[in-house]
Amino acid sequence: MEELFFLQPEVVSALVKGFVVSVKLIVPSAIFGFIIGIVVGALTVYGNAFTVAIANGYVLIFRGFPLVVQLFIWYFGLPYIGIYLSPFVAAVLGFSLCSGAYQSEYVRGAFLSVKTGQTMAAQALGFSSLKMVLFVTLPQAFRRALPGCGNEIIYLIKYSSLAYMITCIELTGEGKIIASDSFRYTETFLVIGAIYLLLTSVAAWLLHRLECRLQLPGFEQYS
Amino acid sequence: MADNTPTLRIENMTKWYGDNEVLKDASLSINKGELKVLMGPSGGGKSTFLQCINFLVKPDRGRIWLDGTEIVRARKKEIYNYRQKVGMIFQDFNLFDHLSALHNVRIALVRVKGMSKGEAQDRAILELDRVGLKSYMHQYPAELSGGQKQRVSIARALAMDPEIMLLDEPTSALDPELISEVLDVIRDVRSGGMTMIMSTHQIGFASEMADEFVFLEDGSIVETGPPEKILYKAQYARTREFCSKITELYGNSFS
Repeated sequence: MEELFFLQPEVVSALVKGFVVSVKLIVPSAIFGFIIGIVVGALTVYGNAFTVAIANGYVLIFRGFPLVVQLFIWYFGLPYIGIYLSPFVAAVLGFSLCSGAYQSEYVRGAFLSVKTGQTMAAQALGFSSLKMVLFVTLPQAFRRALPGCGNEIIYLIKYSSLAYMITCIELTGEGKIIASDSFRYTETFLVIGAIYLLLTSVAAWLLHRLECRLQLPGFEQYS
Repeated sequence: MADNTPTLRIENMTKWYGDNEVLKDASLSINKGELKVLMGPSGGGKSTFLQCINFLVKPDRGRIWLDGTEIVRARKKEIYNYRQKVGMIFQDFNLFDHLSALHNVRIALVRVKGMSKGEAQDRAILELDRVGLKSYMHQYPAELSGGQKQRVSIARALAMDPEIMLLDEPTSALDPELISEVLDVIRDVRSGGMTMIMSTHQIGFASEMADEFVFLEDGSIVETGPPEKILYKAQYARTREFCSKITELYGNSFS
């Protein structure tokens, strides 16, 4: 009867609970990470020396520190200066900032791929720098950055599993509890792994759909 | 506005790139409805001069008056407003790649001039019709030929109702057989009374249309005068040499 262990209602409900927490971590982190990436990327390409220095410093630190160390700092470190974050908020903050640092590099490359002639043309028409970025270069950079940024989102789905290190019990965390209660490590983590595979597959499919929708003549990603 | 106020007056425009002075005290004044053609060897400062005129390149020194009012460069808003009145045509068109021809013409009307989308759309269609591309308005730049792209960029500039247009070698990046369609449009705009400063090697077209030739070399305005004088009776040997070469090359190629 032990083989049917994985069908037990409490196991399934624990996995579902973990799955829901994981999705709640991933979706906002992906969105915030992408927004941070766009802002930081734009500041590196179009900003002045000051904003470029800030942006470079941000990328250096958040790409350089191990993510788990960053999570520990947000969750265990901030209370020392009187800031208490819930495990969930600390995890989303950590993921967003780390993801944003990586995203910004893809976005930076995409901004640089927009020919400078177009920025000159926009300026010559009277666009301010902000309007130029919003209406001329960002729509193009967005399309060019999508494959790389999608890659980063897939990666984020998997590193969201670190959240349980700061007691935000998501899919991996629930899995660890089930596994240590039952000693069925292999089976449990095979199931967990398959759920992550499902998540990344869905994300990849959605990103592909988005790329196709945004495809324009001159911006073909798929032939 | 008094008739004797030049549309655009530029004084002592100077630009350095590192130790290299690419523009040396260039001054120019142009009246309403005039066409002045900048000519001279490549690297002589024509592009830099044109780009300094609307501050795409920041001149190190120099003052500009539009209709008698000096442009204060420190005020960003003033520059944005000034640029709306100075249309610019680039050698490599510089259309916005993610927008159809229609939206290329429309975008600045909506985002810069604050027109409603409907009004801007009507105006954009009108301008595209004027350059003969109404039926191409839903095409993207990647689907247009060089000549068509340049005509869209002219429509885009015209839609802003500029007081003056700057054309930086508008046909230099085109296949020979596409040049005339662009020159026809420029001729048409010119006959509408548009004030223009244009750099070009199309010497035949230029001498037919221009009020004055401005010969630039090594960043200095060497000589100015009516086309026939610069072409055939230039004061300086260098001007004469350049003109005879360019006439030989391009002289008979215009329509």
